[in-house]
Amino acid sequence: MKQVGIIGAGLTGAMHAERWTQLPVELAGFYVRTAERAQAAAQRYGGCAFSSLEALLAEVDVVDVCTPTSSHKELVLAAAAAGKDIICEKPLARRLGEAKEMIAACKAAGVRLLVGHVVRFFPEYARAKEILDSGRLGRPGVIRTVRGGNFPAPDAHNWYADFEQSGGVIMDMLIHDIDYVRWCFGDVATVFARGLTFSDVLDADHVLLTVRFQNGAIGHLEGSWAYPPGNFRTRLEIAGDEGLLEVDSLDTLPLSVTLKQEGTEMAAGVPVPESPMHPNDDPYYREIAHFLACLESGNDSLVSPQDGLEAVRIALAAIESLRTGGPVDVAAFDGE
Amino acid sequence: MNVKIGMLSYAHMHAYSYAACLKQIADASSVGVELVGIADDNPVRGQEAASQFDTRFFLSAETLLEQKLDGIIICAENARHRPLTEMAAPRTPHILCEKPIATTLADAQAMIDVCATHGTKLQIAFPVRFSPPVQQLKAILDEGTLGRIYSVKTTNHGRMPGGWFVDQALAGGGAVIDHSVHVIDLLRWFWNTEITEVYAEVGHSLLHPDLGIDDAGLLSFKLAIGAYGTLDTSWSRPESYPTWGDVRLEVLGERGIVRVDAFNQNLALYSDQTGKGQWVHWGSNPDLSLIQDFVDMIATGREPFITGYDGLKALEVALAAYRSAERGEPVSLPL
Amino acid sequence: MRRVGIVGAGLIGTWHAARWKQLPVELVGFYDIVPEMATEAVAKFGGRLFDSLDDLLAAVDVMDVCSPTPHHNMPVLAAAAAGKDIVCEKPLARRPGEAKEMIAACQAAGVRLFVAQVVRFFRQFSQAKAVLDSGALGRPGFIRTVRGGASPLSPPLVGTKGESRRAWFADFEQSGGVIMDVSIHDLDFARWCFGDVERVFARGLTFAGVEPYDHALITLRFKNGAIGHVEGSWAYPPGRFRTRFEIAGDQGLLEFDSLAPAPLTMILRSDESPQAPGIPRPHSPLSPRDDPYFLELAHFLNCLESGDAFLVSPQDGLEAVTLSLATIESIRIGRPVYLEEFEESLV
Repeated sequence: MKQVGIIGAGLTGAMHAERWTQLPVELAGFYVRTAERAQAAAQRYGGCAFSSLEALLAEVDVVDVCTPTSSHKELVLAAAAAGKDIICEKPLARRLGEAKEMIAACKAAGVRLLVGHVVRFFPEYARAKEILDSGRLGRPGVIRTVRGGNFPAPDAHNWYADFEQSGGVIMDMLIHDIDYVRWCFGDVATVFARGLTFSDVLDADHVLLTVRFQNGAIGHLEGSWAYPPGNFRTRLEIAGDEGLLEVDSLDTLPLSVTLKQEGTEMAAGVPVPESPMHPNDDPYYREIAHFLACLESGNDSLVSPQDGLEAVRIALAAIESLRTGGPVDVAAFDGE
Repeated sequence: MNVKIGMLSYAHMHAYSYAACLKQIADASSVGVELVGIADDNPVRGQEAASQFDTRFFLSAETLLEQKLDGIIICAENARHRPLTEMAAPRTPHILCEKPIATTLADAQAMIDVCATHGTKLQIAFPVRFSPPVQQLKAILDEGTLGRIYSVKTTNHGRMPGGWFVDQALAGGGAVIDHSVHVIDLLRWFWNTEITEVYAEVGHSLLHPDLGIDDAGLLSFKLAIGAYGTLDTSWSRPESYPTWGDVRLEVLGERGIVRVDAFNQNLALYSDQTGKGQWVHWGSNPDLSLIQDFVDMIATGREPFITGYDGLKALEVALAAYRSAERGEPVSLPL
Repeated sequence: MRRVGIVGAGLIGTWHAARWKQLPVELVGFYDIVPEMATEAVAKFGGRLFDSLDDLLAAVDVMDVCSPTPHHNMPVLAAAAAGKDIVCEKPLARRPGEAKEMIAACQAAGVRLFVAQVVRFFRQFSQAKAVLDSGALGRPGFIRTVRGGASPLSPPLVGTKGESRRAWFADFEQSGGVIMDVSIHDLDFARWCFGDVERVFARGLTFAGVEPYDHALITLRFKNGAIGHVEGSWAYPPGRFRTRFEIAGDQGLLEFDSLAPAPLTMILRSDESPQAPGIPRPHSPLSPRDDPYFLELAHFLNCLESGDAFLVSPQDGLEAVTLSLATIESIRIGRPVYLEEFEESLV
C-alpha cells in the first residue's frame, strides 16, 4: 500500500487528508512549517507530524503538495529529487518559469506530476464536458463561466491578499475555469482582462476575462472575491452551433432547509441550500481516487502537467492584460 | 384628444407588438388613440398586418404621411430608418424609431438633424428601459445603495433572427449591432455616463455555420464613471431554447451586488404539441409602457424620454466594437 | 365619477384604497367599527371618516367590503337594500347560507356583486388559465398548488396596532382558519381551471400553534375526472411566503414557483460585520397597471360600465365558500366529502 505524505495542513490539506483516509493508502503524515498545525492534522486524520520535509520524503511514496502557491516549486523539486510521485495543488506555480522547471525535474526524475484542477471532477462540470464531447452542442461557440465569493477572510495565515504570493483572484479562483474552458474548447489564442486587481480597491478583487480560442470560439470568465460573504456562486454556459447547456449553482437546490430563527422579533427563515452527493461522487474524492488509480496503473491522468502549465500561462497572460490594458497573445506569452 | 398614429414598415417583428399595444391603449385609455394606417414596401406583409390590426393599408409611405398624423412608428430595416425619417420629419411632429437608430453615425446624425430642423420629436425604441426589474435597478442605483460601482456584467442573448437581420447592407451588422444597443443604452441611462473604450471579440458564423455575418460578440468596456463591464450580444440561444433570450445585468459595487434578469418572470410550459419547453412570460410588457410613453409625449407635448442622441451613442459603441474586432485592440470613444 | 366607500380599514382596506386612488373614482371615505382605523386611513388616503354604515351608504355609489369575514354579510345586505353596487373581499361569507342570502339580496335589488377573489388577477395565474384555455395542455388531468406563509398571528409583521385586529383569525368559528384564509384562493383557482369538484378529502395538522390546524393537504376529484392537490399553510417560517402550481393535461404541463430565481436580487454587505453573510433579497416587480389588486378593481369598474359579467361571479364566490366548508368537514370527519350531498345537507 502506498504511503502518502501531505505538505500543508490548511483547508486544502485537510480536504485532501479526509479523502486519502477513504482510499486504500497509508496516510503517513503531515509536514507543515508550523509544527502545531501538522500535529493537529495528524491527530485528526492519522499519521505523524514530520519534523522536516526530508523526514516526510524519506517515509512516503507519494507527496501531496497543499501549500500556498509560492512554495509549490521548491517542494515539488525536492520531492522529484527524492524520487517521489507528486500531487500538486493548483495553480501549479506562481511563475511560468517555475512551472517549466517543475515539469522538467519530474520528467528527468521519472516521477508522476498530477495537478489538482479539481473542477474537472465536479459532477456538473464533468457531465457538461461529456455532453459537449458527445456532439450534442455541435461545434464550440461561446463559453461563459462564473466563480465568485467573498474576499478571503483576514487571518494570520492569509496569503491570498498578498498578490505577489497568490496572483490574486485570477491565479487563485479564475484559474479553475481557465483550465476548464481550455479542456472544453482547446488552447487559448488571446486574453483581454478588466478588473480590480491593480485598482485602489484593497478589500475586493474581481476580474472579467474575455477569451478567444485558437479554434475561433470565444469565452467570458468571471472571477470574484467581491461578493458579500455567504454568496459563493458558480455558473457555466456552453453554446455550440447546435445546442446550449447551462448550469447555475443558484438554481441547484435539491435540499433547502428553512428554520425559524429563535429569539428575534422579526423572525425570518433563511434557507440553507445543500447539494448533497454520495461520498463517492464528492469531487475531491473523485480527483484523488483518480490520481491514485493513475499512479497504480501508469495511465495518463485527466489533468496533465502540461495542462497545469498552460493554465498558469493563460492566467499570467490575463494578469499582463490587466496591467497593459490591451489584449495578450497567449501562445507568444512567456512572461512572468 | 385623439392621437393619430401611423406605422411605416413591418420589417421588424416588434411592429406587431407595438400595434397590439396601441390597440390595448386605445381600449383602455381616456386619451383617444387611433392606429390610422400602415404603409409597408412589402404589400403582402403590410396588408396582412393592416387586416390583423383592423386598420388601413397604404401602398406608399407618402400617402400615409399625408394623413395628418400626430406620430409615426418606424419599424423598417436598420438601413432604411434614415430615408423614412427624412420623409416623415417634415410632415409628422413625433417619430418613434426602432433600434438601432441607423447603421452609420452619419445616418444617425442626419436623422437627428432633420428632426431638429422641422421641430419633430424623435424617440428611439428602447423598451428595456421600461422593464420593472430594470427600473427597480435604476432606483437602487439612484439611491447610491451599492456605493462605488466596480463593474457591470451584462448579457443580451438572443436567437438568430434570419432574414434582413443577417444582411450586412440592410442591418449594418449581425448580433453585435442587434444586441449591443439595448444594454449600452441602459448603462448610459443608469449613470448618465458614456462608454470610453471598448474591446470586442466577435464571432462570424460561429454559432450558425455559413451565416456570413457576426452571430456572437463579447464586448469589454470602460465607463466614464470609472467602472468596467462586459456585454455578451451573442445569438447563442438555439431554436429549442425555451425563450427568445435574455437581458441580464449584474452590478457589483463596494456595498454589494444587484442581479437583474429582466424577463425572468415566466411560467414553464411543456407541450407535446410543440415538442419543446417554452417560457410563458407573465411579467409586465415593456413594449406597452414604451408605446404608452410615446402617446403621453404626444398628448402632453413634453420632450422625448429617449432621444435620437441616445440612439446615436448606443450605435457608436456597436460600431466601435466592430472596429476593435477588426483591429484586435481596444478602441477609444467617441469615435 | 363613481363614488366608492370602504368598509373595514385594516390591511386589505388600505390595499384597496391605494388602488382606488389610481382609478377614475372618488374615494369618499372609510367606515370601521374601530374608528381609529378609519381615521388613520383617511389621514393616509383622504376622504371622510363615516360614523356609521348608513352614513357611508348615503354618500357612495359603490361599497367595498374589506372587513373581517364575519362582518361581510351585514354590510352587503345593507348595501343591496340601499341600491349600491358592491365589491366584497373573499371569502364572500363564513357559511354558504349567508352567501346565498347576500347573492339573493343583490339580485333582488338589481345591484352588482363582485367577489374579490384576487388570485385570478395575478398574472401568473391568469396567464396559466389562458394557456390552459388555448388547449396547449390538452385535456385537464392534474393540478397541484401550494400556498403557504406564516400565520397572521405570528410575531408582528405589521406593527402592534394590527395585532388585536388579527386576533379574530385565531377564532376558527369566525375565520374558517387556514382553509378560508389561504386555501380558498387555490380552491377557487382550481375550480376556475378544471370546473366543479365532485369530492374532497383533506387532512389538517397544527404545526405553528394555531388550532384546530394550520397546515392542510387537500385532495380533490373534479366532476370531469381530473384530480388535484392543494396545500395551504400558516406554518411556514416568516419571510418565506410561497405559491406554486403545476397543471398537467394529456398533452402538456405548466409550472410556476414563486421561489424560482427572481428577476432582481440584491445582496448587500452587512452593516454590522464585514464577515456577516449578505442576505439575498429577491424582488419581482411589476408595472403598477399589472398589480393584481389594481387589475381586479379596474375589472370591476369596466364591467359596471359595460354590463359584462365579472370574471368572478357571485356564484363563484358561493362555490368557493361551499368547497371550503366541505374541506373543513372532511378534515373534521376524516373521510371524503361529496359536494352534492354536502350542499344538500346544508339546506
